[in-house]
Amino acid sequence: MTLESTSSPTYDTATRAGSADLPVRVEGLRKTFYDEGRGEVHAVGGIDFHCNRGEIFGLLGANGAGKTTTLRMLSTILEPSEGDVWVEGNSVREAPEAVRRSLGFFSASTALYPRLTARETLEFFAGINRYPADRVKQRVGELIERFGITAFQDARVDKLSSGMKQKVSIARTLAHDPPILIFDEPTVGLDVLNALALVDNIRELRDEGKTLLFSTHIMSEAEKLCDRIAIIHGGKILTTGTLDELRQETGEHYLEEIFVHYVKDAEAATRELLEEREQRELEQFAGDGK
Amino acid sequence: MTPDRHSETSSLSQTLRDIRLLYVRELRDALREKSIVINSLLLPMLMYPIMLWLMFTAMTFVQGQQDRFVSRVALQGLPADHGALRESLAEDGDGRFELQELADADAVDELIRAGELDLAVRAIDAAGSAADLEDNVAFELIYDASKDRSDTARNRFEDTLGDYRADWLENAAIERGVSRESWDLFSIKRRNTASSSDMGSFMLGMMVPLLTIIMIAVGCFYPAIDATAGERERSTWETLMTVSASRTSVVVAKYLYVATLGTAAGLINLFALTLSMGSILQPMLGDEASDLSFEMPLEALPLIGVSSLLLAFFVAAGMLLFASFARTFKEGQSMIGPFYLVCLLPPMLVNSPDLELTLGWALVPVANVALLIRGFFSGLYPWELIGVVFAVEIITIVLLLWLVRWVLSFENVLSGSYNGDLLKFLKSNLGRGKAHTVNGDSK
Repeated sequence: MTLESTSSPTYDTATRAGSADLPVRVEGLRKTFYDEGRGEVHAVGGIDFHCNRGEIFGLLGANGAGKTTTLRMLSTILEPSEGDVWVEGNSVREAPEAVRRSLGFFSASTALYPRLTARETLEFFAGINRYPADRVKQRVGELIERFGITAFQDARVDKLSSGMKQKVSIARTLAHDPPILIFDEPTVGLDVLNALALVDNIRELRDEGKTLLFSTHIMSEAEKLCDRIAIIHGGKILTTGTLDELRQETGEHYLEEIFVHYVKDAEAATRELLEEREQRELEQFAGDGK
Repeated sequence: MTPDRHSETSSLSQTLRDIRLLYVRELRDALREKSIVINSLLLPMLMYPIMLWLMFTAMTFVQGQQDRFVSRVALQGLPADHGALRESLAEDGDGRFELQELADADAVDELIRAGELDLAVRAIDAAGSAADLEDNVAFELIYDASKDRSDTARNRFEDTLGDYRADWLENAAIERGVSRESWDLFSIKRRNTASSSDMGSFMLGMMVPLLTIIMIAVGCFYPAIDATAGERERSTWETLMTVSASRTSVVVAKYLYVATLGTAAGLINLFALTLSMGSILQPMLGDEASDLSFEMPLEALPLIGVSSLLLAFFVAAGMLLFASFARTFKEGQSMIGPFYLVCLLPPMLVNSPDLELTLGWALVPVANVALLIRGFFSGLYPWELIGVVFAVEIITIVLLLWLVRWVLSFENVLSGSYNGDLLKFLKSNLGRGKAHTVNGDSK
């Protein structure tokens, strides 16, 4: 298990040495926003992690923990303030187009074009993500069959039910057959049956050899799906490991308890740090007074 | 991913392929949207026939209203020698007058103001007049110009009086031994050196640039908002940002899509205008319209086409720039609105027949093309200035597109978290060095 702290990320040299084969490698990733009301906001505070080929890597965190910002940086929608990400060896800073070619990005905010049909949607996304032009039709045909889209393939997306749209959305993410897939809180807003179907799809994709990055705040989903889990809180990764490793580390059984364990530790450490700083400032103030 | 996934095509051909795919997607999507089809294609095509129909209907209606009512006129103190005037009013073939006798001559003003009488005609002794003819008489017309009915009565009476005066003068001349032929003095014969086609070209040159730019702007308006704010509202913007095409390709494709619909609107409008101009002007110009022939000068057609294209590409770039800030359709409308009005100003300013294309005007976008198109209709081809105009327009378009790409590199604009205030945007992204940009294209 790699335990990463924010102040000194222990992204070990062994991992770095074998990094050429890692599908996703994140180093010192930091994102700072400027907000009119709050000033500088450190949404992601310098994180490191990697994904192994053919695994489901889960980013587990509460709302506002920095999951979406991290995944947006991975998919080049946002540019890192510091640090870098390598996807299939390509840096998000240096070669964002190559990164996007290797990725399929799925989230609640990546909607479909409502006035295109399901088939047109898949053809467009396969083509624009540079799937070989002469094989686009065949690929789209396969996806239509696989996801049971045949009956409504020529219907406009805005006429489809939410379940049908979800199928087209997943097929859209896979249209160019990317080796890495990012699912950012994919089950948000879905009913139970659609959420279960989606979870099954994700598992199938892993079994086909895809590397999946999956963010969620739902513990049961992470427990069922993820081969390795990173717990993220306040823009910092508190720990990374398999579920068994996390259980061993904390002595807790359920992921919910494990999560609370790390978050409480982190908050206690933060409180301690703040109190120490406050004390130092008071002492300095008293010293200056003399 | 297999190694042959991305065949080794040159980056330029790949970029062009990306732009084509994105452009076709935009266009296909837009042509299924009712409001875009109506505003960008149907309106420019149908506007003039509809305008024509409305104009005829309105004129017929107004004429019918005016013909229907009878003018109530009171004649006061008309000398017996001019009894024929009373008769011509009473026996008016169209029954337009109703002569009234007034019990109280002093109450004229009150009656007219109250709308009970339309016109009072008071004959005044013209003894002091320089005209040395017997039976000369002057008329005082009392009416209320703020009432259409009263004003019409005055017009009708003046027409009738004009005819009566001409007859009376002619008779007086004949009595004094002046023949009808020698009475016909200072006749006017007109000879216009401009052909009917020249006249038509002049009229088209005055009207086409302004109307074309209006239509181009209408044609670009909805597509520009649809391509930016529309994407954000439908949550497809983020989907688009994850495709592997470069951000520059995305901007170029969106621009070409907006410009295509603007060009289509402009060209459709140009032909519709040329075809229906004669019919539109006929009721307005009356007999003069028969001197006009509205034909597109064939030799100028390519230049007019290219100039319209330049206008469309300029308007599309400007509208895309302002629309790129918008998060919603409403914001898009309010951001593009002022630019739309600014686009209309130059062609309105240069819409004076005396104004010619000079080097100074050639440097003013939109106004330069408007003057150029006007010149083309009159057969003027100042090649050096044409070169300057084209260069100025192309440089401006490139600059505007660079600005669009620059604006869309700001994270807060890209993600839609920008608060919609243009001044705040400039202040926060330029003034205090807090810009967060996303390049999104490979280095």
